Amino acid sequence: MTAVSSTYIKTGRPFWAGRRGTGLAFVAPAVFIMLLVGLFPFLWSVAVSFQDLAGSNQTGNWIGLANYKKLFADARVWAALGRTLLLLAVALPLELILGLLLALHFQSDRPLKRLFVALIVLPAVVSPMVAGSMWRLMLDHKFGPFNQIIAWFAGEAVVLLWVIKAHLAFWAILITEVWQWTPFMFIILLAALANVEREQLEAAEIDGAGRFRVFFRIVLPAIAPVLGIAVLIRALDLFRIFDAVWQLTRGGPGNKTETVSIFMYIRGFQSFETSYTAALVVILLIVLSVAVTLALKRMEITR
Amino acid sequence: MSDLKISGVHKHYGSVHAVKGIDLEIPSGEFTVLVGPSGCGKSTLLRCIAGLEEVDSGQIEIGGRDVTSARPRDRDIAMVFQSYALYPYMNVHENIAFGLRARKMAEAEIGKRVRQAADMLGIGPLLQRRPRELSGGQRQRVAIGRAIVREATLFLFDEPLSNLDAQLRDDMRAEIKRLHQELKRTMVYVTHDQIEAMTLADRIVLLRDGVIEQQGAPLDLFDRPKNRFVASFLGSPKMNFIPATLTGNSAKLADGTIFKIAVPQGNGPVLLGIRPQHIVRAAKAVQASHTYVSVPIDLVQVTGTRALVTVPLGGGSVIADLEVGPDCMPGSKIKLDFDTARMTIFDPQSGEVR
Amino acid sequence: MKKHSLAGDIVWYIVSILVVAVFLFPIYWMFMISLKLPEEIFKSPPAWFPSTPQFSNYLALFTDGDVLSLWNSLVIAGLSTLIAMVLGTLCAYAIVRFKTGGDNLSVWILSQRMLPPIAVVFPIFLAYAVFGLSDSYPGLVLLYTAFALPYVIWMMRGYLLDVPVELEEAALVDGYSHLAVLWKVTVPMARNGLIATAIFAFVFSWNEFLFALILTRTEVITYTVQISQYFGSQSTFWAKIAAMSVLGTLPVFIAVSMLQRYLVRGISLGAVKG
Repeated sequence: MTAVSSTYIKTGRPFWAGRRGTGLAFVAPAVFIMLLVGLFPFLWSVAVSFQDLAGSNQTGNWIGLANYKKLFADARVWAALGRTLLLLAVALPLELILGLLLALHFQSDRPLKRLFVALIVLPAVVSPMVAGSMWRLMLDHKFGPFNQIIAWFAGEAVVLLWVIKAHLAFWAILITEVWQWTPFMFIILLAALANVEREQLEAAEIDGAGRFRVFFRIVLPAIAPVLGIAVLIRALDLFRIFDAVWQLTRGGPGNKTETVSIFMYIRGFQSFETSYTAALVVILLIVLSVAVTLALKRMEITR
Repeated sequence: MSDLKISGVHKHYGSVHAVKGIDLEIPSGEFTVLVGPSGCGKSTLLRCIAGLEEVDSGQIEIGGRDVTSARPRDRDIAMVFQSYALYPYMNVHENIAFGLRARKMAEAEIGKRVRQAADMLGIGPLLQRRPRELSGGQRQRVAIGRAIVREATLFLFDEPLSNLDAQLRDDMRAEIKRLHQELKRTMVYVTHDQIEAMTLADRIVLLRDGVIEQQGAPLDLFDRPKNRFVASFLGSPKMNFIPATLTGNSAKLADGTIFKIAVPQGNGPVLLGIRPQHIVRAAKAVQASHTYVSVPIDLVQVTGTRALVTVPLGGGSVIADLEVGPDCMPGSKIKLDFDTARMTIFDPQSGEVR
Repeated sequence: MKKHSLAGDIVWYIVSILVVAVFLFPIYWMFMISLKLPEEIFKSPPAWFPSTPQFSNYLALFTDGDVLSLWNSLVIAGLSTLIAMVLGTLCAYAIVRFKTGGDNLSVWILSQRMLPPIAVVFPIFLAYAVFGLSDSYPGLVLLYTAFALPYVIWMMRGYLLDVPVELEEAALVDGYSHLAVLWKVTVPMARNGLIATAIFAFVFSWNEFLFALILTRTEVITYTVQISQYFGSQSTFWAKIAAMSVLGTLPVFIAVSMLQRYLVRGISLGAVKG
């Protein structure tokens, strides 16, 4: 009876029924503030995106879909989007695999393990803008230690202009991201691994399953939900990457490291192309909202 | 004067109809046990009485006052929860006093009542401890203490003993019984355990699928069940049910055995219900109203001084609760004495008593 | 517990120490620069240790008044965390106990957290210009509160789910109102989670850069914006970047080291229980 009635409580009708009013009153202030900065900007952007507001034109005429047409024809938008997605496509698997390897490594219980884990996690809580600054100093071609360290391994002096040359600047951003967020993946996966049921592993061992078999058949499926959430969080973070890039290259050289966020910042706040940026805001918000909501629902994150 | 009156209460959870029109009136000072199998609606009914669930329809009166839509705190009830629901960050004294503080009682009076309750429950020396420093039984006492200091009109118990181990459960059961005798308050107690129901209750209310199957004094239900469900729910081991065909005052089993029936109940197929305790080893002297059967023993489960003996009978098997003896061996023949006067005869289709 | 071989132990420790070194080196380097003299910062090849560690770079931050940006960060992150905790806990309580809004509300709230800040802040910037909220505490506090809320709600949702419902029911029967139950039973029960949530929410606001960059000019710039303004190739700028980064990062490290137990939940939006 108890088991049955407690499941009713969890999934059934509002508990302590008749408290709907109290519930709404508790929820209202928080939802109001979120709507204020969530819904309002969206509606405003929709309205503005059909006009031609800009720094030089404060009164604005209705110009229909012109901004959207311009957007789709703008090679710089596509380049920024492509660059962002490329970064995502390289950084995310790297962080995931490195994080998983680290988590597997630190699964064994040995003295000092907790200290090591605590230290490795630190980069994940540094401000991304500070992380960008750190690597800006690390990667300086003359005074930074990074080239120096490479030189030891190469056996000769190396002068790589990390944040100046376009092809290297991409790697500079990648290094910073992977350095900062591999620990994030690591700590989450370490927790997920610890939650895998011991008895399942022991049963598999008794059944004579090999290590790889155990990993792919038992461990991986068990941590898959957590893996999914971690990947979602990181993918969205990478998609909106701004701080570290800003501090490392400010989108340069030229616009060779411009990401979507950097592009929008430059268009909106430096060249004041208000309506044009608004059109991009609208598209981004629609696409991402739909994608995120679908992903979250699919993951049954609310359980 | 009744302290609790429930009329026509219904409760749905989504598509599940958990309580289907319950009517119940509980006189002052009575100890009532709501009992039934999982999902019968007993806990839901208790939560409706407490106001933790709102009823869909019907009326609930406590102490003569309609409280159907009152908040829990306005119902003048005290409740003991299955998990004890003790606040881990408060010590025992604060836990017991918590409900009194809600009612803005003077500190002196609170102190007096807490000490009184603690002494009554034998937890006086533990007042400064935290719940995690207590044993299961002690926690249970604190939870009860928290309820009795309230001196409410109605005390509700939601399976309070089911988290205790068997030994403690017996002790606490006696404790609760004694408490009721001392306090003489109206108590409603939910359990799925028929032994708790039998031993504690002044009145048992047996529920199934959201309706009351039968209510009354424990022995009433035990000896005069209305139907097969009630008969098999109460008593351990369960009542034996043997299919038979009735002709006048003899009942013929599938294997040809004939049971003599004291009072003729008409003709046709029936189920004979007989409790394992009412089957004994046949003595020398023969009684006219009894039926004697010699059968080989299939299985023996010794429980100490008693043995549960399974024997084949009437195409099925029957369990007898006998005193342990040298003849309690699988394979050996035993002569059993059935007191047919204590048999209950059920209709095989409806399950109702004939 | 399995026994480890000695060789296995040695390999394990070597790998572990190497990994720790890789992840800590940039932080170490930053700290070293902050202690160097300007001429030592621009030395090629770089000096691994400062020859004479000194604090003049930090002192410069005080004499130039740059530390004010740390104060601004503290005020803005502190106030927004406080407001978000109060409103977010109430909201999470209703979601958990009254099922207000159902799953849809929960998912919508979480999706708010995942939208790109740049898209949100652009119209906000223009609205703030109209209402005079740019470059002011209230403007930033409001925005940071809104961005901390989904985080707080999701974290608290997890911690409140862990509070046994019977404790609250017992208090309801004993005579307390819902608000009193929340305050006297639920909050003490979820105290550790509440503190952890508050500290993580604070850290995220404290570390934020984009909103601050866009919505502050001179009056209330935060420490992250302050660092971004030292962009150039003079050694004094490098010294300031390093010193300010250390000052901004140290409190975060201290807070997080105390919260190891809550870290996993904290950075995974409560989705993973550590």
